[in-house]
Amino acid sequence: MSGASTVLRWAHLLSALVLVGVFGFSLLAGRPSHPTARAWERRMLALARGAGIAALVTGAGLLALHAAYVAGRPGAALEPAAWLRVLTATQFGAVWLLRAGVIALLVALVWAREREDSTADWAALRGQAWLLAAAGAGALAWAGHAAAVEPGGAWALASDLVHLIGAGVWLGALAPLHLLLRAASTPEGADARPYAVVAARRFSRLALIAMLTLAATGLWNAWEQLGDIPSLIGTRYGWLLLLKLGLLVPILALAAVNRGRLVPALGGDAASVGRPAMARLARFVAAEWLIALAILAVVAVLGTTPPGRHDAPWWPLSFRLSWEATAALPGVRTRFLIGSQLAVVGVLGLVVAVLLSRARLLAAFAGLLLVAIGLGVALPPLSVDAYPTTYRRTTVPYQASSIAHGLELYRNHCALCHGAAGWGDGPAGTGLPKKPADLTAPHTAQHTAGDMYWWLTHGIPAAGMPAFGPVLSEDDRWDLVNYIRALAAGEEARMLSPAVIANRPRLAAPDGAFAVGPAPGRHLKDFRGNRSVLLVFFTLPGSHARLALLARSYETLQALATEIVAVPLEEDGPVIARLGANPPIYYPVVTEGAPEIARAYGLFRRTLSPEGMKPDPPMPRHIELLIDRAGYLRGRWIPGEPGAGWAEVSALVAELQALNREAPAPPPAEHVH
Amino acid sequence: MRLWRVVLLMNLALGLGLLVGYLVWGRPLEGLRRENAELRGQALPAGVERTFRARGVVRAVVAEINVIVLSHEDIPGFMPPMTMGFRAQDPKLYDGVAVGDVLAFTLRGVPPNLVITELRKEGRL
Repeated sequence: MSGASTVLRWAHLLSALVLVGVFGFSLLAGRPSHPTARAWERRMLALARGAGIAALVTGAGLLALHAAYVAGRPGAALEPAAWLRVLTATQFGAVWLLRAGVIALLVALVWAREREDSTADWAALRGQAWLLAAAGAGALAWAGHAAAVEPGGAWALASDLVHLIGAGVWLGALAPLHLLLRAASTPEGADARPYAVVAARRFSRLALIAMLTLAATGLWNAWEQLGDIPSLIGTRYGWLLLLKLGLLVPILALAAVNRGRLVPALGGDAASVGRPAMARLARFVAAEWLIALAILAVVAVLGTTPPGRHDAPWWPLSFRLSWEATAALPGVRTRFLIGSQLAVVGVLGLVVAVLLSRARLLAAFAGLLLVAIGLGVALPPLSVDAYPTTYRRTTVPYQASSIAHGLELYRNHCALCHGAAGWGDGPAGTGLPKKPADLTAPHTAQHTAGDMYWWLTHGIPAAGMPAFGPVLSEDDRWDLVNYIRALAAGEEARMLSPAVIANRPRLAAPDGAFAVGPAPGRHLKDFRGNRSVLLVFFTLPGSHARLALLARSYETLQALATEIVAVPLEEDGPVIARLGANPPIYYPVVTEGAPEIARAYGLFRRTLSPEGMKPDPPMPRHIELLIDRAGYLRGRWIPGEPGAGWAEVSALVAELQALNREAPAPPPAEHVH
Repeated sequence: MRLWRVVLLMNLALGLGLLVGYLVWGRPLEGLRRENAELRGQALPAGVERTFRARGVVRAVVAEINVIVLSHEDIPGFMPPMTMGFRAQDPKLYDGVAVGDVLAFTLRGVPPNLVITELRKEGRL
């Protein structure tokens, strides 16, 4: 099925592009007046008719396949009802109808008879045909990946549109150009030679512009669909793009020879220079054409491959370059600075080499050498170990339920060696070849989530860490990765205090789902962008006075764009009922989802006090955490700590006012990275 | 007929087709979309008595001023889930209702003036 679909897509794309190229080239070359060129032109019209019919037939085939795909069963490919549903109810159908109509009109137009003597007819036919062909090819953008890019869809579409028409103008014209050159390079076709020479020269100029346009729009499209380097070298989509780029190299080499050597020689003496050059140009153009067909095949496969940014990249190298992970190491900054400066000088040398007329080779060589040395000095210190899953994006978001489950898994599988608090001090860790890693140390942040996922899955044999791939499911392992991120964040959270440090959003607040009574569930994340959240973890009856005070201040806090979410730490009996009617409490009191949120946020209970420095201090009976509007943990108050904290609501109000004065920070990353 | 005239006619026809298509489908569609948006703004026809059923948890009962505060679920066609005060048709309905009770309640009236006409206890939170 997918093989047939790829072949159909290839043929369809090819015929649509050929239509653009044939008429574009015809318009470019002008109206022929000699018999050989006229015969060529008639062949071009026949070619266009063929391509138009091929586009319609393959288009129908693609519609049938799409109908089968949408209906979910192969039989639907032959049912008119299924076709009709696709045509009337999907964007694919709307685009298909438009394109089929345009191409059908084009085919009808090409069938019309023109009067031999009218230049107006000639121009009208080809101009109109080219416009229709460009519309037919360009509209493919609305049926491809570019139509699915969010946000900025309009730019992606425009870029894809220009790319498609540019591809048609260049690639579609190669076959007509080849046929014309071949006919004109024979002694019998000598009458067409001046026409062919002019056409080839004009095309040479146009092809340069088309190539530059294709490169620019192609790079833009690739960036839209990939988003980062790991997606380029680690996904199927990225590899196909690299293959496409690789196929372009011989084409560019051929084009350079054509442009530099053969096209200038076309006008030379017919027998000795001009005609052989034309014959060779014809062969080279044919070679370009064949490679272009291969490129289109790659494009046809790309169209059915999920774009890199939606795929899990598989990193093929054993290292990666990371500034964040290495910048703090001694000497790295200096070496990088020196190396990068050397490389910059080298690039300057290359620029000079292009401008120089003498000693060009020497300057170019010296420049390249400097670039190589510079990169050799600058990059190796940035390299850190990497694994195939290093850039894998977790499928499980950083949220309370995942962290809480990760905590449970950690106690069962990891704590024995890594210790209860992740300090690498577990009782079973002492006998291992290498001391278990301290999971709360700063270096944890230098590893990607994908790194940890790899170690969890495959273990670290040299250090004695076992592989959990066979024991834990994929989601379980991601839950552990989320837990370890929260654990390391908990180490940093010791710095939190009732006094908010201005403009320092660092600790991402995990998301969490909760519900109040029968109301549908909500997420802590939902408040992002418009409200700060005071997350109050409480125990009854001890917290009653505090919750009552907050209830009386609720209007004030709401006026400061702050929501209170009260989470019971213990579940014993009906919590809302126990809170009572006096004073009435109107802020959300969590009745569902509380244990997960309490367990996950419990990781942020550790403080800088001697008690809080212990690996596993007891959970306070009451603790309040302040999450700012962007979704970062900014403040914490534990009653009983030295200082007044937020005991007076006015102190809390002052912190909220300070937060509200801050410029909004970008939201924290959804996933561990 | 000369071909260039045919092409000219074809483009005229295409342009005319686009214009007619827009006038026939595009403009009514736009109007429908606008009406739809307006209707969504005021989801209810004015002056018609409606009935809604929903569930909620009691957060406060202030019988003196005839108000009961509920954290309720989505009430389709009336309001999204929120915590707010309602009035009862008959204050006797409050008898035996306490904070923390989960209620299934019925609202009746001409929006936005709805009152609770029935309620039934379902649990306690």
